[in-house]
Amino acid sequence: MSRKVCIAGGNATPFDYPMHITPEAMAANCIVETQKDIPDFTLRDLDFMVYSHFSVHFGKQLCPEWVIHDHLGLVGLPHVRIENGGNTGGSALYGAFLAVKSGLFDCVGVYGWETMDNVTQSQGSEFIALASDTRYEALAGGIYPIYYAAMAYKFMKENNLTEEDFAMAAMKNRNYAADNEKSQFYRSDYTNPDSPYYKKTLTIDDVMESRLISYPLKRLDCCLMSRGGAFALVTSEEWAKKHAPGNYVEIAGAGLSSCTIRAGDRIDFPGWNEMYGKGYPDMTEFAACRRSGEVAYDMAGIEYKKAAKEVDVAEIHDAFSSSETQIYKALHWANTDNIREFVREKRTFLDGDVPTNVGGGLMGYGHPVGATGIMSAVETMYHLNDTAPKKHLSSKTYVKDANTGLVNSHAGTGTSISNFILRRP
Amino acid sequence: MTDKRMHKIPGHNDVKWDDKNSDKFRGDVKETGIGFMGYDYDTATEQFKVFLHYDQLYYWKYAEVSKLGKGFVDGEFWGTKCPKCGDKFFPPRVNCWNLDCNLEKSDWIKLKEEGIVHTFTIAGWSGKSSLKRLPFVLAYVIVDGCNTAIANELRGIDPWDAEFGMPVKVVWKPKDERQGTVTDWHFEPADGWKPGPMNAEKERMKELCQPVIEWVKTMK
Repeated sequence: MSRKVCIAGGNATPFDYPMHITPEAMAANCIVETQKDIPDFTLRDLDFMVYSHFSVHFGKQLCPEWVIHDHLGLVGLPHVRIENGGNTGGSALYGAFLAVKSGLFDCVGVYGWETMDNVTQSQGSEFIALASDTRYEALAGGIYPIYYAAMAYKFMKENNLTEEDFAMAAMKNRNYAADNEKSQFYRSDYTNPDSPYYKKTLTIDDVMESRLISYPLKRLDCCLMSRGGAFALVTSEEWAKKHAPGNYVEIAGAGLSSCTIRAGDRIDFPGWNEMYGKGYPDMTEFAACRRSGEVAYDMAGIEYKKAAKEVDVAEIHDAFSSSETQIYKALHWANTDNIREFVREKRTFLDGDVPTNVGGGLMGYGHPVGATGIMSAVETMYHLNDTAPKKHLSSKTYVKDANTGLVNSHAGTGTSISNFILRRP
Repeated sequence: MTDKRMHKIPGHNDVKWDDKNSDKFRGDVKETGIGFMGYDYDTATEQFKVFLHYDQLYYWKYAEVSKLGKGFVDGEFWGTKCPKCGDKFFPPRVNCWNLDCNLEKSDWIKLKEEGIVHTFTIAGWSGKSSLKRLPFVLAYVIVDGCNTAIANELRGIDPWDAEFGMPVKVVWKPKDERQGTVTDWHFEPADGWKPGPMNAEKERMKELCQPVIEWVKTMK
């Protein structure tokens, strides 16, 4: 199959908690904004809609995509919803990629959203924890930050890292989010006089001094619970060239992989032992990230050991500062011997060789689950088509001359992970 | 001929529930279904919001894993073992995970109620139903040499004293309070285990725990 698949355009709404706009109005806003970038695009161009939404618990509405689809006037058009935990957005993009790659459709809309502000944050944590194995994990008082902390602590020890090393990503992503007026950090902290972080450039000390969530993670090491929506238009190359010249990017690689639901079940799993050697990934590494990353690198012709040099800009799933750090390793950007230096030399900061989460990431922009992976793809696209300076408040958070981008979306305790390589055409 | 890897499904009228305890722990919890509780309006921005409460009783059937639930009520740990490759599971898997074993049905085996801490964390925040227990240690423990680790609370210890690789034992709730779920038991340090001396990292953990301890004291 030689057909190239592209992202012709896309946009995200602001993310916030709380925020007062319905899922269908967020979809309409995203499409209107996409039309600003691709004036040629109308709803009549759509062949297929892929909806990306994680939890119907938040809206207490089954098949909520049906509300949105007919609101947009799309009756008759085929539609599906994809749900795959935190990797819902990435999985929906993957579904749209397959749909175009197959030759069946030329113009596929992907809209994702979540309305987590419909419940309190502690109730929201319990809802999300229903994606862990409820029989054995949620009942024991576990919620995702706790499972991630248990994995992060072992990773920290075995890779000779410190709490401060994790805090680098927490500080970085929030400070970049201060240059993005759609980001939750910008809306609820940076421009909010009631926030302790009002007009504040964060430091490592701010992260270290924030309250304990689950050792070694503190409040600022964790992502945000949000309401928000995001839209991407996945098309054939012919469609993109004709209707979105100057705006589209190519999906040069796409990988999707899976791991155990319970993190404790991956210390000796036959499938991984066979693929990567006995004992991998243990409870420290994200094997599904490594695998899906390798599939995407192979498709895009990127050598694993040169990945950090070849990727010019990345948006990765920083649900926690620790998971961002673990992902550096899973994507072959660093290894056990050099991860400490990789972090301390700020290789993923704007001045480093692989600027990561300059749109703010999940810790800065927010994490309305179904929208997140799509937001990450759109934010990566903004550098590859040079629209970042007008999408962000300044060109401070614009990665110039970027040709290759990486988008990562991640679910469960590393249970489903997708990676995409985007290229400037 | 029935393939012996198939799980048996009882007939439609075969399950009689002769040992019924369905309301044993209910207290005054009522099943109310859906209901609207009130509304808010903001005049300046013309925003309207309603308050919805929803509550539903579920019937979780353990079915072919029922031995686990009954074991918990009886104070016994039942895991499974693949007769082909010998991999041992807790939580139990009723078909082997090894693709070469081709869904071999595993055998139930009684496990020793002891294990080793594989990794752990000190929780300072949790879901609504667990807030009053904070701060607590959640440990992933390899029970009786299994090929998997199970998560549960590690008690009987100052949170900052937990260690990787420490030996633990299982401690049961009183029999009358057991519900057939993982909350029927927790881990505690094995008899004779002593924590190592305080060090900088433990001091840091202790310092992080103090505001959590104070916060929990203020809860009703």
